Amino acid sequence: MSGSNVWSRTRERLRIFPELLAQCADEAAVYGKCVAATTTGKQELKKDLCVKEFEALKTCFTNAAKKRAK
Amino acid sequence: MSGSVTVRVLRRLQGLRTGPVRGPAGLRAVPGRFLSSGGAMNVFNRDMKKRQKQRVAALKDGHQYDYLRNEVGSRVADRVYDIARTFPLALDIGGGKSHIAEHLNKDVVQSLVLTDVSQQNLKQCRQTEIPTRCIVVDEEFLPFKENTFDLVLSSLSLHWINDLPGAIRQIQQVLKPDGVFIGAMVGGETLYELRCSLQLAESEREGGFSAHISPFTAVTDLGNLLGGAGFSMLTVDVDEVQVHYPGMMEVMTDLQGMGESNCAWNRRSLLHRDTMLAAAAVYREMYGNQDGSVPATFEILYMIGWKPHESQAKPAKRGSATASFGDLSKISRPTNAGRS
Repeated sequence: MSGSNVWSRTRERLRIFPELLAQCADEAAVYGKCVAATTTGKQELKKDLCVKEFEALKTCFTNAAKKRAK
Repeated sequence: MSGSVTVRVLRRLQGLRTGPVRGPAGLRAVPGRFLSSGGAMNVFNRDMKKRQKQRVAALKDGHQYDYLRNEVGSRVADRVYDIARTFPLALDIGGGKSHIAEHLNKDVVQSLVLTDVSQQNLKQCRQTEIPTRCIVVDEEFLPFKENTFDLVLSSLSLHWINDLPGAIRQIQQVLKPDGVFIGAMVGGETLYELRCSLQLAESEREGGFSAHISPFTAVTDLGNLLGGAGFSMLTVDVDEVQVHYPGMMEVMTDLQGMGESNCAWNRRSLLHRDTMLAAAAVYREMYGNQDGSVPATFEILYMIGWKPHESQAKPAKRGSATASFGDLSKISRPTNAGRS
């Protein structure tokens, strides 16, 4: 397969993933702490337990991607 | 958190005995995942593993992913040197690009048969002064006669074998009496950081988790495995290799480059990008180092087993003792006259 297709675009997006994540280190740390707290505390890990933190992380991530695309 | 749930669940499937499913058309074939009456497990898609290895071997810059195999290969070669013997004929199972033989010399191993399931890998085998024959062989079906080899080596390929007891038994058969098998395989707590991060992230984002890391053999099982196959004088030791990466994505990219992508039948064919993002954040937070890098642990299990032979030391017969424990008190203590 040559030229730009869905696989090459997906791979390109995955390739810059670490770069974008590095720009959202704070939000990632907050989300990570929220999930890690379930391993030590009494709180059991359920779906969407840390959804607020994750939404913040995802917004930061997509903004970073948009800025990069400009 | 041990995070060993996913791995142990898969190993416990061994104990399940499910019969064939009866449908309206009579007996339907059970998917290869469950224990059949033959006693063989079918966890991995061997065909897919072969394709993955072929693809990886054809990469132009594939050598940059060889660091783990090089390291383990050199340590296995060390163990070969520790045995003060010359081996006329040796077999390297799953040898890949010959990571072990490049550290050996002609005095220790006189002739080598290098096998791998992927032909591309064999084409790129490294330079070594030992005369080598390369054969494409599936590790689970060794095409060699009994009592052929003096030494069998295996480095980092046994963890993709479905029927491990059967494969070890075949290795024991192709060995000559008083031959030795030196193997290294990843086991136990390998990649536990990646496993835990993916498990937690998938639970939080999607409400459940699936196995992304393949099941590994525990150290405690190795003794039974080798003993059950007929090896004696076993030696098992564990080495932990920790590699630091910039982040979770790099860990996964390198694993793919090494040819270690998942090929279990029950693998999920996709990983949501939300889960990937969440897992990368969890990985960094739970296991990250001060400088921002993340570690990945590879627990390498080294095993040495000998095929029984009369010349090997055996436990002494009952009643053949020449001294008694009661005489211990009669051993003279060192006197002031300078007895050391």
